[in-house]
Amino acid sequence: MNPARGSVFTLQKLCKSYGTGPATVHALRGLHLEIDRGELLVLLGPSGSGKSTLLNILGGLDRPTSGAARFGDLDLATADDDTLTEYRRRHVGFVFQFYNLIASLTARENVELVSQISDDPMSPDEALRLVGLTERTTHFPAQLSGGEQQRVAIARAIVKRPTVLLCDEPTGALDVATGVKVLESLLHINETIGTTTLLITHNADIARIGDRVVHFADGSIRTVEANTRRVAPSQVRW
Amino acid sequence: MKPLTRKLFRDLRRLRLQAIAAGIVLGCGIAIFVMSIGTYGSLESARDNYYREARMADLATSLVRAPEGIAASLALIPGVSAIETRAAGFGLINLPQVDEPVTAQLLSLPADRRPLVNDLSLREGRWPESNRANEALVNEAFAAAHGIKPGDHISILIRGERRQLTAVGIASSPEFVFVVAPGSILPEPDRFGILWMNRDTLMRALDLEGAFNDVVIRVASEADRPRVIAALDERLGRYGSRGVYGQDRMLSARYLTDELSQLKTLASVLPPIFLLVAMFLIHSVLSRLVGMEKSNIGLLKSFGYRNWDIGWHYAQFSLVFSVIGVVFGIFLGNLIGTYMTGVYREVYHFPILDFQAGLSTYLGATAVGVIAGLLGAVGAVREATRLAPIVALSPPTPTAFRRLNSWVERRAKSLSLRWRMVVRRLLHFPRRSAMTVIGIALALALLIMSEHFPIAVNRLIDLNFGTAQRMHATLTLSEQRSDIVLREIARLPGVILVEPVRVADVFFSHEHRHEREAIIGLPRGAALNRLVESNRDVVEPAEKGLTLSTSLARKLGVRVGDQIRVQATDGPRALVEVKVSRIVSPFLGGSAYMDQAELGRLLREPSRVGGAHVIIDSTQRQALNERLKQIPAIVGVAYTDNFQIALEKLFREGVGFFSNMFLFFSLSMAAGVAFSAARITIGEQERDLATLRVLGYKRRSISMLPLGEMTVLLVLAIPTGLLLGAALSNWMMHQFETDLFSFPLIFDSRAYARSALFVAAAVLAATFWARQSIDRMQLVAALKAHE
Repeated sequence: MNPARGSVFTLQKLCKSYGTGPATVHALRGLHLEIDRGELLVLLGPSGSGKSTLLNILGGLDRPTSGAARFGDLDLATADDDTLTEYRRRHVGFVFQFYNLIASLTARENVELVSQISDDPMSPDEALRLVGLTERTTHFPAQLSGGEQQRVAIARAIVKRPTVLLCDEPTGALDVATGVKVLESLLHINETIGTTTLLITHNADIARIGDRVVHFADGSIRTVEANTRRVAPSQVRW
Repeated sequence: MKPLTRKLFRDLRRLRLQAIAAGIVLGCGIAIFVMSIGTYGSLESARDNYYREARMADLATSLVRAPEGIAASLALIPGVSAIETRAAGFGLINLPQVDEPVTAQLLSLPADRRPLVNDLSLREGRWPESNRANEALVNEAFAAAHGIKPGDHISILIRGERRQLTAVGIASSPEFVFVVAPGSILPEPDRFGILWMNRDTLMRALDLEGAFNDVVIRVASEADRPRVIAALDERLGRYGSRGVYGQDRMLSARYLTDELSQLKTLASVLPPIFLLVAMFLIHSVLSRLVGMEKSNIGLLKSFGYRNWDIGWHYAQFSLVFSVIGVVFGIFLGNLIGTYMTGVYREVYHFPILDFQAGLSTYLGATAVGVIAGLLGAVGAVREATRLAPIVALSPPTPTAFRRLNSWVERRAKSLSLRWRMVVRRLLHFPRRSAMTVIGIALALALLIMSEHFPIAVNRLIDLNFGTAQRMHATLTLSEQRSDIVLREIARLPGVILVEPVRVADVFFSHEHRHEREAIIGLPRGAALNRLVESNRDVVEPAEKGLTLSTSLARKLGVRVGDQIRVQATDGPRALVEVKVSRIVSPFLGGSAYMDQAELGRLLREPSRVGGAHVIIDSTQRQALNERLKQIPAIVGVAYTDNFQIALEKLFREGVGFFSNMFLFFSLSMAAGVAFSAARITIGEQERDLATLRVLGYKRRSISMLPLGEMTVLLVLAIPTGLLLGAALSNWMMHQFETDLFSFPLIFDSRAYARSALFVAAAVLAATFWARQSIDRMQLVAALKAHE
């Protein structure tokens, strides 16, 4: 199912709705999009515009109501539960706004949690080094700062050398300086291991670090613009 | 409806399974409370009402022969409110449908009036006419056992003379609520009957014209009882009185008292265990709820809700759990109590015995349930009221796990990551882990205790019939006779081996303590009736001096080597000083033993016997029975096998039901604790579990987290429960011991293993059930949810 060069994801007429009858909420209304291998795609838009729903479908956590969402030749819309689990295990790295670290495992153990079930992982220490965390790896999440926790979460996401990295507002809960560090980590990984990275944000300025920016509104894609001049995270204004 | 009330109902709907689990455990405690207190009250009030209405004797004695003329003077003793003199004796009933001769206790009825003491209640038929010599009343249990109806004839042998009596009525007496033949410990209604006969007829038959040999007395409530007894003893002593005694030595009354005290033990020991576990469950559920709703609570407070509103909101949850427990407990308690009372009705013959728990019991049960619920809620309510409003605005923080001590961490390194999670959680919440272990262990302990009881009884029966009492039958003589009679007994058809029975009823005194007990005389090298200790050792009484049971020695405050005063209550009434030579712990039967020859010498009645234990050729049993029915000197024939069957039947009826009841209670407790613990651990780790799923772990492999946690707790709970069970069982059996028997200390590994298996199955089943929520988990929603 590993897609060859070119598109990683292909979306066609992708729809997602919740509820029935007059109470139906249309979260996604017929999206068309191709996402290329190795690109850093920023999803921008207000709350409820469908960004997270799309990310969840691409991550195999949710299924579309209609349309197609393909990862290579794998149809995420029709794959069964075990196939989706296998898909997440082999190809997807997640980074959440609230980190979702396992509180009872240390930083390093949180990373090992993934390296132990992956086919060709890097070493947990390497993953932690890539996000700039070489100390405090034996600390528990409660003993780490928000930025450190998020970097552990990123290390955990990349340790398996995922095909795609899905980040849902990874800097949403962080201050500027920490947020910059986190974005730098993401960028660094995107560049060094070529992971296709999807990044959700509210912050229009953050969009400037991506290859392309997808503007969402009301469950639809308004525009897709390519960044001719990408900026470094340190230049992003918050 | 207020918003908080609406929230309460919605949350309760979500927590309904845990509410039911806590309610059931609480309900089990309340059920035992209602059942035992209700049964206790029903039995006690049935006894007190019956004793009062039928004027149950407070005092009694039997004597050799006293002239009727002294009755009036006895009635004048200050404190005596009523007196009834009687003729009393034994006879052998010959029932055509029964092979063996059946013993009857014979008691005279006053002419032309009802008894002033120990009045009878007529169940069927009519009272005997005083001018009809051979009319009699039969006790209810015996009549029922043999289908005797008013108008039936009964052939009876009294002192060698055969009489035809007519049963004109069926009656019951407060004196025989528990009908047990003298010397026996079990009711055998088909082998022992009571006949109330025309006074003149019985007096003539017993050679007692113008005299009496039995007296029953009622004492005014304000009277000085010891003084009344002393006055009676003084007047009756010269007529061969065996000493006036109170209800504590009247067999039926004594059994009732023992039963009541056992019910009291049940009521005081078991409900607290269940209530404690229920409190813990309520505490866990509510603490988890408050923990989950911290930000909501902060928010409510920031809106202006007072601490009291918030506290009351969470206390209401516990009230709902209590209501579930109380309703379920009262319902179940009534059901069990009604059944138990039915069992008691078979054994204790009261005119009316119905299960009535009474309003106070229900109010008590409700109060106990509500208090247990509120106490369970205290921790959570306190936490909720103490939370600062700012909590609502703070970002979520992960649970603060810390490194454990280095030894544990080194060991943890060898574990897989998921097992590390399990171990760290268990050690991070030590109190909760410990409470879960204790809850499961208590359930196991209860189950072991309930299994222990029938096993102990069976061991008792085995030990008794296998080691101690090996006779095929015991023959009782109408009075003590010379041991020449043994030679005649040996000549009876089928008799292979004969051993004398010698029992002396005496008063023991040591310093200021007095006890009335029997000394059992055992022949040297006895083969049929042997003294067996609780540890199963067969021991011989000391050659010289007295051998006492530990309980009697304790009551008298004596040790080996002490001198003790012994006063016989019959025969020449010897008063002697004897040395205590040995103290033993017999598991069943008497309290004092002596070498038989030594006992005879001591009481100045050598070579006297009261009966004989025999071994018979079973093929000759019929012939022996035929012959025994003709021998006037023998008033009792007790076959060991019949006794054994009666014993087994009695225990089957009571114990079978009890075992099932306890199985239900224990498994409910184990499952309730496990379900609640598993739900909480899954609930708390919902986000972790969802994260693991997102990271690519399969359902089966993340289910290992709650299952692993419960398995570790179970593994800790089982040995704890086994030890607790062994201790609780032996303590409980000790509580159930009476002067008549003590239980051997036992350890039945199979029963322990079975109990552990049952509890483990209940815990795992409950955990698997709780685990289902992992299958239903919505990944996206679970990831968003945060503490």
